[in-house]
Amino acid sequence: MNELWNDLNGRPIKDLNNGQIGVVTKGSLTEGVEMKLNPDRSVEDVKAGKFVVIEGYKNQFFSMITDLSLDATNPDILLYPPHDGDQLLHSVLNGASTYVTVALRPMLMLEAGEEVVDEPRPVKTIPSHFSKVVEAEEEDVSRVFGSEDRDDRFFNMGTPLDMDTPVCLNLNRFVERSNGIFGKTGTGKSFLTRLVLCGMIKKKKAVNLIFDMHNEYGFQAMKEGNSGDSFVKGLKQLFGNQVALFSLDPASSRQRGIQPDHEVHIAYDQIAVEDVVALQDELQLNPTASESAYLVAAMYKNKWLRQLLSVEGPDVEKFAEEIGANKSSLSALHRKLKRIEGFPFMVTKLDGADAVDTMMDYIERGIHIVLEFGRQTSMLAYLLVANILSRRIHEQYVKKSEQYYASQNPADKPKQLVITIEEAHKFLNPTTAKQTIFGTIAREMRKYYVSLLVVDQRPSGIDEEVLSQLGTKITALLNDEKDIQSVLTGVSNASGLRSVLASLDSKQQALMFGHAVPMPVVIRTRNYDEEFYRAMGDLTEEEKVVKAEAASAALFGD
Amino acid sequence: MALANVDIEEYIGEVIESSTSQFVAESRELNGAPPFGAFVKTGGVIPVYGLVYNVCTHSIEPNRRATAYGLTEQELRDEQPQIFELLKTEFEAVIVGYGDDRGPRQMLPPQPPGIHRFVLPCAEFEVKALTNNGDFLRCVLSGNRLPADDLIIASVRHAWAARAFDMPYLVGIGKDLCRLIRDDYDRLSSIMRRISQ
Repeated sequence: MNELWNDLNGRPIKDLNNGQIGVVTKGSLTEGVEMKLNPDRSVEDVKAGKFVVIEGYKNQFFSMITDLSLDATNPDILLYPPHDGDQLLHSVLNGASTYVTVALRPMLMLEAGEEVVDEPRPVKTIPSHFSKVVEAEEEDVSRVFGSEDRDDRFFNMGTPLDMDTPVCLNLNRFVERSNGIFGKTGTGKSFLTRLVLCGMIKKKKAVNLIFDMHNEYGFQAMKEGNSGDSFVKGLKQLFGNQVALFSLDPASSRQRGIQPDHEVHIAYDQIAVEDVVALQDELQLNPTASESAYLVAAMYKNKWLRQLLSVEGPDVEKFAEEIGANKSSLSALHRKLKRIEGFPFMVTKLDGADAVDTMMDYIERGIHIVLEFGRQTSMLAYLLVANILSRRIHEQYVKKSEQYYASQNPADKPKQLVITIEEAHKFLNPTTAKQTIFGTIAREMRKYYVSLLVVDQRPSGIDEEVLSQLGTKITALLNDEKDIQSVLTGVSNASGLRSVLASLDSKQQALMFGHAVPMPVVIRTRNYDEEFYRAMGDLTEEEKVVKAEAASAALFGD
Repeated sequence: MALANVDIEEYIGEVIESSTSQFVAESRELNGAPPFGAFVKTGGVIPVYGLVYNVCTHSIEPNRRATAYGLTEQELRDEQPQIFELLKTEFEAVIVGYGDDRGPRQMLPPQPPGIHRFVLPCAEFEVKALTNNGDFLRCVLSGNRLPADDLIIASVRHAWAARAFDMPYLVGIGKDLCRLIRDDYDRLSSIMRRISQ
């Protein structure tokens, strides 16, 4: 008997009404559309962020659920609600006098039978009264987001809420702009980053340079889990020769069982004043100190840092007088830059190839680079190295692009490069964004074939202009109002997305929106497990043996 | 679908007064009227369907009234059988529809039922057709001099029984009722409570 009541009270009876969950009752273009939930559907099955389709007369409107509310026609009902045992009255009232209103935000409009190719059409109209609203089905998802079978540019990122169909990212559009991955600590940003990087590597859409501050991406990394900690494979393990591991701290890498392909050293002469200016906040230099640096550089050109660090004690003041800088700010500068001497990767003179030249060589060959920091996890080291290397690589890229524009020879076309940086708010906060190479790269978009992949847990620390330049954003749970607001900067119809962002699960759920997806969508991220490894082309030991045997048989005959 | 010939053996009453919206019939046997809230129909080529809303028993002569004897019914039948000849039972029904060649229709008939037509109980399929949705409730609520609440309860219980006490049907009728008397939540909850008792 109880089950009968449950069905009447709204446990969904899937066979009824062909998956229809309601009809459109009210709405406007600017504020979204409202629908009345069918009484046979339970409100608890309808979640914010769910993907539904409104079947209009000529068009189908692909929408996301943004809000739910309970209403009653008669306030008396709320004053004297039915007793707990009075199931009949409860069922009678459900849907007739008490009902659920669901707010929907149409994101995308397609004519019947149309598929999204590259540019989705914005929503210019709304569905009429009483248009049917149905749950999205597999076909709808693959029509809108594409599928890996259809085309090479689509990469499966996960599934929508309560569905099993894959939701794909359009990688061509993804690499056209700089992008961001955001989320509170522990929400799985590293996994999201790995997914995206694997996608770009597997589908060969761009060459990646990853500044791996916490040694997570190169080789294996720890995974937090219920069944104790386990290890997940890194990019080098999955893609073998397509990925090169550079290390700033080779001893640490070797201790973790990894032989880096290259060791990175930086000579003092390679550090320009801009690189130090980028460290302003970290070193707490005031602007006068930076000015002093310029003055030293004016006199000593690229030997300025060596010269500055070589003076000691009272000589610093004399040195200041020589170049006409303010004594106290120069001393401050000197004191703080002394820390750089302590880094083991800093050398006076380079022996062996310049790290940047090697990197450029790899990049030109299409080999991806993961730069590990080993034990050099201090913010200063990270900022310094990332800035220096990126700046120089960018310089080279500018040269190559201009050469290509001049010659128009397809052989000269530089390979699209994506630079991944973590803790991005240290690089791209409002003060440094205007002065560092990363701000420049973010603003330039695709002019010089370099773009950023920004990973951060504090998007409110990132300059607004940069945030609005990010093409696609993949966001896991964010709590802070300021963070949510920053992430939604420059997004139209942000109000609906706000509530969706705040209601994400703390693990394995993310909201993707922007250039590379036709409409914002909440996904349950793809599992990073054996199945994924296999999909990326990584074989198990037995399979490798079989493959090797097959290869040798092919080569040498039986 | 034309009605089969009326089987005289089964009739329960005879129309003695009729109008477009209701009719009065004398029941065939004393105290043998159809129950309050039952669905009945008049015979003939175009049957007219009614819902019994009043049953009364009184003397056949308007000026004479029955008086008390202080005897049980069995004793009365033995000693004074003639008094039973002087009483009659009548029932009044509000018209809820009529039948044409497509089956029962929930509208007032073009012509009222003829006087002296026989009245029969409705078959189960007819009851179901007449109570398929909440429209018959509207008839009940808009009638005058009807005991609306009790009539609703009785007629819905009959309709529910005709459907073997199918709960979803009851919920559906409840929702239709809710729309009709939405402003009076107390009345609705009282009716629903008594229906399901």
